[in-house]
Amino acid sequence: MSSDRLGRAFGTVFVLMFFLYLFGPLIVMSVSAFNSSAFPRVSPWECFTVEWFAALADDGRLLQGLRNSVFIGVGVVCLAVPLGLAGALLLTQVRERARPWYYTLVVSPILVPGVVLGISTLLFWDRVARMFGLTRDSIFYDGFFLTIVGQSTFIAAYTMLVFISRLQRFETVQEEAALDLGATHWQSFRKILLPFLKPAIGSAAVLAFLASFENYNTTVFTAISTNTLTKELASKVRYGIDPSISALAVTIIVLTLIGAAVHEVLRRRESARADHGVALAADPTRPPLAQKPWFLDTALILIVLVVIAGAGTVFMAGTLGVEECKAQVLDDKRARNAERTEALRERNRLRDERRAAEAAERTTNTGDDETTPTRDAETDDAPAAERGARPGTGNFEGIFGGGLAPESDEPAAPDAPPAEPAGEELPARPGTGNFEGVFGRDLAPGAGADEDDR
Amino acid sequence: MRWWREYFTRNGVGLGLFLLLAVLVWAVLMIVLPQLFMLDFSLRANVPPPLWGTESHGYTLEHYAYLVRGSGNTASGFNTVDLAVFGRTILAAVFVTLVDLCLCYPVAYYLAHVASGSRARLMVMALIVPFWVNELLRAFAFKVLFGSGGVINDVLLGLGILDQPYDFVRENIALYSGLSYAYILLMIFPIYNAIESLDRNQIEAARDLGASWWRIHRRVVIPHAKPGISSGCTIVFMLSAGALAAPQVLGGPSSLWFTQLIYKAFNNSANWARGSAYAIVLLIACLAFVLLVMRVFKVRFGEIAK
Repeated sequence: MSSDRLGRAFGTVFVLMFFLYLFGPLIVMSVSAFNSSAFPRVSPWECFTVEWFAALADDGRLLQGLRNSVFIGVGVVCLAVPLGLAGALLLTQVRERARPWYYTLVVSPILVPGVVLGISTLLFWDRVARMFGLTRDSIFYDGFFLTIVGQSTFIAAYTMLVFISRLQRFETVQEEAALDLGATHWQSFRKILLPFLKPAIGSAAVLAFLASFENYNTTVFTAISTNTLTKELASKVRYGIDPSISALAVTIIVLTLIGAAVHEVLRRRESARADHGVALAADPTRPPLAQKPWFLDTALILIVLVVIAGAGTVFMAGTLGVEECKAQVLDDKRARNAERTEALRERNRLRDERRAAEAAERTTNTGDDETTPTRDAETDDAPAAERGARPGTGNFEGIFGGGLAPESDEPAAPDAPPAEPAGEELPARPGTGNFEGVFGRDLAPGAGADEDDR
Repeated sequence: MRWWREYFTRNGVGLGLFLLLAVLVWAVLMIVLPQLFMLDFSLRANVPPPLWGTESHGYTLEHYAYLVRGSGNTASGFNTVDLAVFGRTILAAVFVTLVDLCLCYPVAYYLAHVASGSRARLMVMALIVPFWVNELLRAFAFKVLFGSGGVINDVLLGLGILDQPYDFVRENIALYSGLSYAYILLMIFPIYNAIESLDRNQIEAARDLGASWWRIHRRVVIPHAKPGISSGCTIVFMLSAGALAAPQVLGGPSSLWFTQLIYKAFNNSANWARGSAYAIVLLIACLAFVLLVMRVFKVRFGEIAK
């Protein structure tokens, strides 16, 4: 049927477009991590560099945030996995009529916005602390404690869903048999139920850690003054003027790909072993499983390729001479800029001459030459302002921003990467960029007022 | 009483107590009480923290009134700014949900019934990889894409479609695409799971009986996928309406997301009470949406939260 084939072709195209949509942004961002331009972008391409990765490794606040996030993630695993397990085990035992209510209650945190969970956790433990007459130095007002508790509220629901789906395949007969044979409850739990749940515990722990690690909405309220990876990332990303964020994304994507490949390898081996077990049961004379040598595995080869590509990238960046290339780009910019300034000057000169001529004409006509000098000043000022004003403002604002609000989390207008296209071609641009990057990230010149005075 | 005895004979005292205690801590101390305390807090006057719990921290409706009436000095008598933000957030979240549904349904169907074994598995993995990249970084990717010097502007300028860069951020196009992108996986998987359990023979039978593909989907596939669709819609709506990262990164300078108002109330204005009141409003809006979806799709809560 031709219409069927047409539909299928359309479906394939749609799916291809979909995956392009899925990966396009990530690819563009990854590529921008290797561009030496001070603003994360792909075009114009300047120089191939890995300096942003080095900048990333030097970022103390980010690394501190990373450490805190790992600590919180471990805490969440320790709290959310037992809670989820208990929730799932109890679900099978709650009375039939109460079960939907119970389920609704423990699953509801998934459907509550993370912001709301964060706020309610913060307020609740603050109140508890006040009830016990504790001050804000107590554990109940501690960023780590609050974040672990707040995140576990909904992550426990995730882990519970993992356990429920595993428990559906559990045969309670096994447990009953163990109890009949004289095992204690604890023994039957430890020897039968826990081993059965082991894979689920593993995947629940991984899920809990990852969910905690990348949570922002809840953390931003509960972490108080604790610096987590996502909080640090948010304050960087909002002003988006540094490609080291792209470098971080590349790192995460590569780690994810490696993780996915390892998972695939393990899964394949597992299923091969299982298949073999089934076949062996049917036909005991079957030869033992011929395990492919590990280095022939496609996924492993992929991992190795990724690592080699990474190493090659670093090597190439080292040998290609980033500095020379950057100097070249800077020279180009200067030349272009000089050209442009020259052209502007030329144009202004011509205009001035023409005006002077006109004025002279008018003077001869009316005897009034007042207008000429003011006009002159105006036309002279315009290009000067264009050239000089930007860097000046940039530095000024940078210093003020650093002095006044280095920690403030002003939700300033993020779409005004200061000085971006306007200042881009100027020779003074690199200096400005650095200043703003270091000091002024909490200020969004020009647009901040828009929001704050609202 | 009988239940308790059976419960403890079944689990033993130690394990039984542990289960009860853990669920009690989770349900009461982590889920129910914090929400109730937040509701209580939102109904109290805004006084500095040292005065909390004293007499001046009395009950009032002023924070909810503020959302509707503002400070009372506005020309219209309504807090048009905050109400507009709320309305836009809800409408945009509905819009994002619908866009995701339209994008994901065909892909989920393709994944479940057209693609074969190994290719389907590869596709599932390809779907998961972008999802493990942090939400903030995904938003950042859209900023790189849509910024004034971004790829899309460069391409459009290069093709001569535009003669000057278009401000996608100011027009919120970047935000809406970023939000649709961020939660796309949570739409695909519920639908995929639901469609996958559909017996292929049902589709074949409908086709043999001469049904058009549109009719097959409307009468066979979509009814079967209903729980998945409702679950995906609920979660995507909730996450979009409650998103904070993407609006902070991608939002236009003059437009706010409702969560940003909450964030500002906590961080900039130090008005926690108003922040809690707004959070309660957001929570109620999300619950209302869940109930609406349950009513429209005639599914139970348990099927949504799968």
